[in-house]
Amino acid sequence: MAGIDVGGGHGGRRSVNQELPLVPFIDFLLCLVMFLLVTAVWSQMARLNADAQVPGPPNEQPVEEQKKEKTLHVEMRGDRKFDLVWKEGTTVVNTIEVPKKQVPFGEGEYTYPDLAKKVEDEWKQNGSHRAATDKKFDQAVLHTDNTTPFADIVAVIDAIYTPKRDFKAGNQQEPVPAFNVTFSVN
Amino acid sequence: MSNKALSRFHQPISVPGRRLLHHVALEFVQKKVTGGGHRSVNQELPLVPFIDFLLCIVLFLLASFSATGELPVDKNVKLPSAQNVMDMVEAPMVAITGTQILVDGIPAGSTRAIEEANRLQRVDELFNVLKSKRELWKQINPGKPFAGVCVLQVDKRVTALVVKSVFQTAAFAGYPQVSFMTKRLGKPGGGAG
Repeated sequence: MAGIDVGGGHGGRRSVNQELPLVPFIDFLLCLVMFLLVTAVWSQMARLNADAQVPGPPNEQPVEEQKKEKTLHVEMRGDRKFDLVWKEGTTVVNTIEVPKKQVPFGEGEYTYPDLAKKVEDEWKQNGSHRAATDKKFDQAVLHTDNTTPFADIVAVIDAIYTPKRDFKAGNQQEPVPAFNVTFSVN
Repeated sequence: MSNKALSRFHQPISVPGRRLLHHVALEFVQKKVTGGGHRSVNQELPLVPFIDFLLCIVLFLLASFSATGELPVDKNVKLPSAQNVMDMVEAPMVAITGTQILVDGIPAGSTRAIEEANRLQRVDELFNVLKSKRELWKQINPGKPFAGVCVLQVDKRVTALVVKSVFQTAAFAGYPQVSFMTKRLGKPGGGAG
């Protein structure tokens, strides 16, 4: 095993060489490794944020007149295509069709890379809130029918969150999704 | 009796010579058992690199150790995966399975009832549980602004009608910032999102 040899031990003196008991130390380390492996968290959970866009509590400060902003409406009710509709209030500014092309990756799960790319291009052209100091985000409204499975909704929200912008909170600046998603009630 | 033999009796204390295995008559066997000038078969195990390796593993596992453990996910909920995700936050967990709605593990409504009604609706039981949670938080943290964040753990087979009903109910109960819990999916390029 391992020892410490400092020489000496001659002339009738007791030897000062020592054997370190390494085997219990290795046992201890192995136990520690086992415990940490058993308690380790391997799967990482995350979240997709959404905003219900409901009014907050009453505010005594005068409310600023809000100008109508462009909103991206994502219509996912069709079987073959998505409709991306830019609206200002109720006025339709532009409509784009994107084929509904699923790319499967797991058990009953898929992504929409074509939709993600188109949404990113659209935000680059029409997005209003780009500065890192801007606390507002561009709004996307998801239109879905009542029977759509949640996996499909997540795939579309994931595609809408593809375009990223910087966001400064305090001293930290980090890339965040450029859109804020909410649901259409009808 | 020779002089040499007698000298042993005259000197009771003598320096011992090699006696080990001396009685083995066959010379080649004697050589074999005594090592015979060959390399010793005893080996020192290199334990120090092994301990270094173990220490590295321990340090890595300690660095990635989570004292709070994994976030509790209902066993009946199969979460979907997504790439463009954010880190989890501490917030009330609303689990939506194929049959029921639970808030932090406590039943707070039925999924079936929403599907049978076939219309977007407020889930009263869920509304009351979330509202009482919000009021409790305000009592514990007086004067602090309420973030209004809740996390939905939704099974991937649950229909949009149920999701929208729960979403709307959470918003009415004072939780407009609703997050959907997902599994983190690696980017096609490599790193996790």
